Amino acid sequence: MRINHARALLLAVALVFAQALIAAELRVPHLAFTDQRLSNGLRVIIAPDHSAPVFAISITYNVGSRNERPGRTGFAHLFEHMMFQGSKNVGKGEHMILVENNGGAMNGTTSEDRTNYFEMLPKNQLDLALFLESDRMRSLAVNQANLDNQRNAVQEERRLGIDNRPYGKAFLEIDNLSYDNFAYKHSTIGSMADLNAATVADVSHFFRIYYAPNNAVLTLVGDLDPQEALAQVKKYFGDIPSQPAPPKVDLTEPEHYGERRETIEDPLARLPLLLMAYHIPPGNTPGNYALRVLGNILSTGESSRLYQHLVKEKQLATSVNVQADARIGPSLFYVMAMPRPDVKPEDLEKAIEDEITAVQKNGVTEREMDKARAQLRRQQIQARQTDLYTAIRLGEYAVYYDDPNLVNTIFDKYNAVTAAEVKEAANRYLISREQTVIIDLPAGTPVHMAAGH
Amino acid sequence: MKRTVLFLMTAVFALGTGSAILLGQEGNKSIPLSKVVRLNRAPVNKEILRVKLPRPREIKLDNGLDVLVLERHKLPTVAFMLWIKAGALNDPRDLPGLAKFTADMLREGTTHRTSAQLAADVDDIGATLRASANFGRSVSVVTASGLVENTDRILELMSDTVLNPAFPAAELVKYKKRQLANLQQMRSQPDFLAYERFYRVLYREFPASAVSATPESLNRVTRDDLERFHHEYYAPNNAILGVVGDVQYDAIVPLIKKYFGNWESHPVPESNLGSVPAPATAKVVLVDRPDSVQTNIMAGDYALRRNDPDFIALTVTNHILGGGPAARLFLDLREEKGYTYGAYSYFQSDVYPGPWIASTQVRTSVTDGSMQALMAEFRMIRDEAVPEKELDEARRAIIAGFALSLEQPTTLLNAWLTVDYYKLPQDYWDQYPQKVAQVTPGVVREAARKYIDLDHLQVVCVGNGKQIKKALEKYGPVEVYDTNGKRLE
Repeated sequence: MRINHARALLLAVALVFAQALIAAELRVPHLAFTDQRLSNGLRVIIAPDHSAPVFAISITYNVGSRNERPGRTGFAHLFEHMMFQGSKNVGKGEHMILVENNGGAMNGTTSEDRTNYFEMLPKNQLDLALFLESDRMRSLAVNQANLDNQRNAVQEERRLGIDNRPYGKAFLEIDNLSYDNFAYKHSTIGSMADLNAATVADVSHFFRIYYAPNNAVLTLVGDLDPQEALAQVKKYFGDIPSQPAPPKVDLTEPEHYGERRETIEDPLARLPLLLMAYHIPPGNTPGNYALRVLGNILSTGESSRLYQHLVKEKQLATSVNVQADARIGPSLFYVMAMPRPDVKPEDLEKAIEDEITAVQKNGVTEREMDKARAQLRRQQIQARQTDLYTAIRLGEYAVYYDDPNLVNTIFDKYNAVTAAEVKEAANRYLISREQTVIIDLPAGTPVHMAAGH
Repeated sequence: MKRTVLFLMTAVFALGTGSAILLGQEGNKSIPLSKVVRLNRAPVNKEILRVKLPRPREIKLDNGLDVLVLERHKLPTVAFMLWIKAGALNDPRDLPGLAKFTADMLREGTTHRTSAQLAADVDDIGATLRASANFGRSVSVVTASGLVENTDRILELMSDTVLNPAFPAAELVKYKKRQLANLQQMRSQPDFLAYERFYRVLYREFPASAVSATPESLNRVTRDDLERFHHEYYAPNNAILGVVGDVQYDAIVPLIKKYFGNWESHPVPESNLGSVPAPATAKVVLVDRPDSVQTNIMAGDYALRRNDPDFIALTVTNHILGGGPAARLFLDLREEKGYTYGAYSYFQSDVYPGPWIASTQVRTSVTDGSMQALMAEFRMIRDEAVPEKELDEARRAIIAGFALSLEQPTTLLNAWLTVDYYKLPQDYWDQYPQKVAQVTPGVVREAARKYIDLDHLQVVCVGNGKQIKKALEKYGPVEVYDTNGKRLE
């Protein structure tokens, strides 16, 4: 026994070593960039890329819905809309007109952890982009009519994405039920009542606290000269005053006790939907990387476990998706599955739990690990296709983890995850007695279909 | 763009991806208009950066397969796109979806691999292999992509699925069940209901009227039907294969010959689509979705064929009307009136006149106001000459925007596949900016009058019938359907 054991161990070591040799060759093309801070605190990251005569700019502000207070849910996003409503030298809507009419594209997005604004333009319009972004960072101008107008636009955005769609409420409720800390418990889109309550004074206040150069990262990627571009950035942004650092948000999630479960009656749905969530560590931590690899093994590609087992073999589901979130704070591991019309949601739930239990007991195979690495490496390389996506990622990694170079190293972190770590993370975090389960049922579904255990 | 976003609200956007009059709608309090203002102080480089689209090298294999090779060396990736010149438009009348079923089932097993083996072989190298036949289109498309170090394997997998599908009976049974559930699911989505009804009223008996399979066609389809469709249409002499990425022409062509060279050519049935029916009189169709809190509005007409000489005129015209967040519909319905999150127009073109469509989603209480605003915009672009400055900006946006397309290899490849498939002139993309620059206000007005044809405008609204039907009656006789597609009135 003992000898066999030692031999097995040796063999395992040899295998791991061989694997490490193979793994060492797996690379993602290196991205060179400069990373500086202006005297007002604005962090400026510039990555030249001369493969196409275009560039992208992204400004990532370290503010998201996590910074909202009760009674003002949805405000960070409503505020993001106000950033297109004019500043001292840019009229309402003129930002969009100027970018579009010069062959560009732009948008702004808000998540729990950050708000970003970005443009893509032909390379000869760098001044235009810097002017537009600096003017609104310096001198946002809002009035009641513009606020009312964008409140309407945002409320329609909520109706479009949530209130007029099947499962919309469930998508918001899964976070609400899983978290106790207000920061991540409430939705980024916000409630209609809170959106109605927002005032022009709220907008000014939010702008002063969060929209300062020292709370932002500016990234430029594309066909430009880093030194000239930096000089231009200084010219446009250098004199914007910094502000006191915004208050930190406590993201700590209290200990959870027991499973949380809810059934939603959904008048817009025709088929049930099952949502599950587990508490996992923040993004860019070993546990989070291990669970993201597991997410890949469970549901990325048609050969993934849940697709093969639940959709194809047992035919319990028409679709299954897993997503391990990577927030700056406590994150969630989501499972979303649609039962086949003749299958009870609880039978599908049981089958998913069995799959998770199987990982906890038996782990995952080396072939599955290699496959996940291949998929993640391809994903990371493909992610470098456009200047815009690279600009967005540099900004996010700088704001989230103070590590824009993650754009170069994140694959190595995935690559370093071992099968043993995946198994351990599954055991440690995917705990059924601490899970959240939401079953969304078409209105009028007989009660026996809704029964939990 | 991001990793698969499961939960759609984790990021919310400023945009989805005018003139003024109004109100009367939400009570009588008069909300001051939020007017778009142009200060013209921003530094704009007046020079339009002109770019030339890189041109692929082409070769025809002995079996008739046209091959386009476009080298792009930024990243070590490769993408293949195979256009089969038969698609949903070739579906038999009683079997809507056959082209789609055939394409979908290519992934479910070949004579060499089971469905599961194929899935594993694709995923093991982190590749993507997809086949699709979109409704309303005359082509089926197979794409395979991944890292360039796996080029040989990717091509072999693609070739195996295209040349040797087995259409296993057991997989077909499972596929049908999944698709039947999908059909049910789609009916709960308001945008699907709007598309379905709009294409029906616009195209009626023409094959483009179908936007999905039906439970009947799914239940009826057999593996013989799939084999027949595959045998009839999937032929090298009826296809174009494009490749883009970090490849060398001299190295990739032999590889393509290795995997597609022995694909046997054979005569393919003539496509006999007939022509689209004469435009119908303007009407309004309501799909009553009682729990809707928004009205999805789609209004439109026939546009044109891809090779129509008006294509560029309509491109510019549509850009001005609804081509993006700087266009009239968006600025009016959203930025001034606050009716919606987005309002856009677009058109599609194929070997038959595709549709021109304006669409928006508005809260129920402003359905009438939104209809008024849309109609006012349609009339304005037809009746009033476009100001020279606005036209100049639209032309500039389209020409300068060309530079952005250089970043996306598959966009570039699609541009050249389009030239090849629709038999456009070889210098089409070289001439394109020049032709856009030549569009005058007169040309825009002519295109607007021809294609935004208000006498034949078809309007579909999906929403709460009780609350919106009366308002819709102002715009013509209203036909009412339920969400199952059954005519009520």
